[in-house]
This record gives sequence, C-alpha cells and structure tokens, in this order.
Amino acid sequence: MNMFKKMAATLLIVCCAAMPAGALAQDRSPITLSGDVMAVETAVDADGNETTQLVAPDVIVPGDRLVFGTDYANNGAEPVENFVVTNPLPGAVRLAPDAAADLVVSVDGGTVWGTLAELSVTQEDGTSRGATHSDVTHVRWTLATIAPGDSGRLEYPAIIR
Amino acid sequence: MDTQIITKSLFATPVVALFTLSAPALADGVDAGTLIENTATATYEDGDGPQTVDSNTVVVRVDELIDVTVTSLDSGPIGTSPGEAVLTFEVTNQGNGPEAYELTANPTVAGNDFDTTITNIAVDTNGNGTYDPGVDEILTAPETTQVLAADETLTVFVIVEVPVDAADTEASDVELTAEAVTGTGAPGTVFAGQGVDGGDAIVGTTGADDSAVGTLIVGITSVDLTKSVSVVDPFGGTSTVPGSIATFTIAADVEGSGSVDDLVVTDAIPDGTTYVASSLELDGNPLTDASGDDAGEASDAAGISVDLGTVSGGTTHSITFDVTID
Repeated sequence: MNMFKKMAATLLIVCCAAMPAGALAQDRSPITLSGDVMAVETAVDADGNETTQLVAPDVIVPGDRLVFGTDYANNGAEPVENFVVTNPLPGAVRLAPDAAADLVVSVDGGTVWGTLAELSVTQEDGTSRGATHSDVTHVRWTLATIAPGDSGRLEYPAIIR
Repeated sequence: MDTQIITKSLFATPVVALFTLSAPALADGVDAGTLIENTATATYEDGDGPQTVDSNTVVVRVDELIDVTVTSLDSGPIGTSPGEAVLTFEVTNQGNGPEAYELTANPTVAGNDFDTTITNIAVDTNGNGTYDPGVDEILTAPETTQVLAADETLTVFVIVEVPVDAADTEASDVELTAEAVTGTGAPGTVFAGQGVDGGDAIVGTTGADDSAVGTLIVGITSVDLTKSVSVVDPFGGTSTVPGSIATFTIAADVEGSGSVDDLVVTDAIPDGTTYVASSLELDGNPLTDASGDDAGEASDAAGISVDLGTVSGGTTHSITFDVTID
C-alpha cells in the first residue's frame, strides 16, 4: 500500500515536468526525441547587410521569430519504419511565412494534412478560402525508415502572435 | 491493474494541458507572461509493432512589450475665447501587458501665437467622452493614469486657461505626452524582471512614450447694434408731428472670426408713439406680429423682438419697424 502510494507520487512528479509519456515509453524505446527552441536575432552591420543568428530565447515579445527544433536518433540495433513526427503549434505562435513550402501541415487540429497550398479553411459564412500560415495548427514530418545509429534534426520557424 | 489506471490518467493530463494552451483567442499580440510550450511526438514501427514517443517540452515565456500611443480626439482646432478650454486626447496601451503612464501637458509649443496655462489633466471617469467637472477624476501630480490592460484605451482631458490678451484668430497648441511608468528608452531597451510575472519588460517601437498635439483657436465675436430713424409727416415732409410715421432701423453687425448663438434683438415702442401693425421686417422681408410663427413678434405694449439665432462673424442683419406719432 505504502509502496503503491510512493510510486504514484513519483509518477505525478514526472507528470508535472510535462514529459510523462516520453518518460514511460523511452525506457524501452530505441528512439529519442529532444526538443529545443531558439530565438532568431537579426543584426544589421555597418554596410546595412542583415545577418541572422540563433540565440537562446532570453527576451521575446510578440513579432519575434523562434525556431523550434527536434533532434531525433535511433539508438537501437534495428531500423524503425514509418517514422512520423507530429508537432502541434503552440497557440501563441504562428508558422513563419518562410517555412518550407513542402512542409506537411494541418489547419484543423490534425485531421486533414497536406502542404499549405493544398489546404483550405471554411469561414464563418460557410465559404472557403485558401489556408494561410497563421491557420496552421500542426506540422508533421514523415521518414520512411531510420537506420540504427542514424540521427537528424527537424525544425520549423514560428513568429510570436 | 492499478498501475494501468494511473498510466492512463497520466497520459490524459498533458493532452488536456496542450488544448488549454492553444485555446486563448489572441488579438493584437500575445499577452505578456504567456508560456509557449512545444512538444513533438513521434510514431514509428519496429519489430514490436507501432510505438509512440514524446520529446521533452520546451517552454519560453513571452516578455512584456511596452508601447503607447497618444492621439488627439478633437476633430480640428477647438474654438475658444479667453477663459477655460478643454482638449481631448486618447492614450492607448499598445503593449501586451498592463502598464500605467505618466502624463505631461506642455502649453508652450513652438509656433504658438499665445501660450495657455495648464489647469488640470483629468480622465474620462464616466466614459462619455466629454469633460464633466466634479465627475471626471482630476489627476494629481505626478499625473499618472491607472494601470491600463493591453490594448486598453483611456480618454484624457487637458483643461487649460486661455489668457485674456489672446486676440481673435490666434492659435495655440497644447502637447500631451504619455510615458510608461516602467520606463522609456530606445526600442529594445530591456528592464530586467519588471515585466509580467517577473519576466522582462522591453521597450517597443514607440519608445514607450508618445505625444500628440491639440489646437485651440481664438474666436472673439462682437455684436454691434446701430439704431437710426427716419420720419415722414402727413404732408410729405419730415416733421415730427402727430400723425407722422417714424421708421426705425436697427442694424445688427456681428464681427469677428467666431459666431454668436441665440442672438435676440429687442426694442421698446417709444412713449407717445404707437406701433404700426405688420410693419416689422427683417432684411427687407416682412415678419408677422404674432409670436411663434417666425423669427419676429411685435406689439405696442411689448415692443418688437427678433430672434436671429446663430450668427456668424462678418454678417449684418437689418430690422425695421414703423410707429405713428400720437
């Protein structure tokens, strides 16, 4: 009884750290996913040339650009197949207009998927319009297979609403 | 079995949290203090079948952007005369967090024909857009607004005294400046730890201060009445004898750049004379003696009265009526 309580408490603490599913699954998963976020800092040099660099998101306000990244790796001995990474966009950001045009996205919470150009949004008056970057609710990447020991990085740029 | 239930409820928790985060309706910029949380989920197949794995969740907090705009709500120059005048402005919190602003009214703007004296700065407490003395709160020094929420606007009145030596058609500007209480500076200036929930506050494109100008223009208008009389006697001459008819002419001359309201010209019928019925005219057009049907009324007892209403400067009206010498 006591032991059960203790275990429950431990699990709850993990939950509060917002990584329960990963923590539970990763124990036996050959796949690791590691997320990070960087802010895009634009600087203009003396000649007027703009340069951008990724920095830790120290001070961020509406209109600032962020890059959300996910590093994946197959640490197992076997290849994995149909590897699909789904990333819901936080509500406070919109997909940046310079996101890759062939990025597979959803504008309806993850029901219908396609490139942005293929998707449309039903408006309040019942008519339909082409989807825009700010309509995007999810982004998704699909890799047919990841060989043992392979790793890579997936990124999407976003702008704080 | 027990463990399974716990696992289920644990899976449910983050899902609910994700929906909560994407729910807020976002208008003009995410509120300061908003947490942006990002988690990626991978599904794949290995030798054991379909699998799911989540990434860690990265969290960044939106900092407070400090921005403000001030605009004049007056549609044009406010017509005034020496004495009190009121200028109306609007202060808008263009930032994404709560902020108060210190207000400064400057009556000495370059190019002024004369300078006013600032009496008070007041806020539109009852929200009707018009300054109501005794109702709208007068700010005390340092004149600081209440904390305005993101995107909130506040109507502000600047009450000024126009000096007695201000001449007709002279103009004067009054500038109202609002400065964020947290601080002002070049865009990008950071006030560490002074934002919402202990986050940073950062100066936006407005520099966290703004000002707007309201204009007063003096319109001093005077009314000059000139009365003249001409007499025709029963014999074709101009003698003042019983039976002679005297025609009085009152010229109402309105001068200045403004206008006068409710201008009513009255005159009594002189003793020893009798009003000639239906002789009242305005600018050559007859008026009835009865009251209420047109601008004029006349009787022997009450004399004549002509209501000219609002008259612009530069206008002259001529009123005539006849009396018989008793």
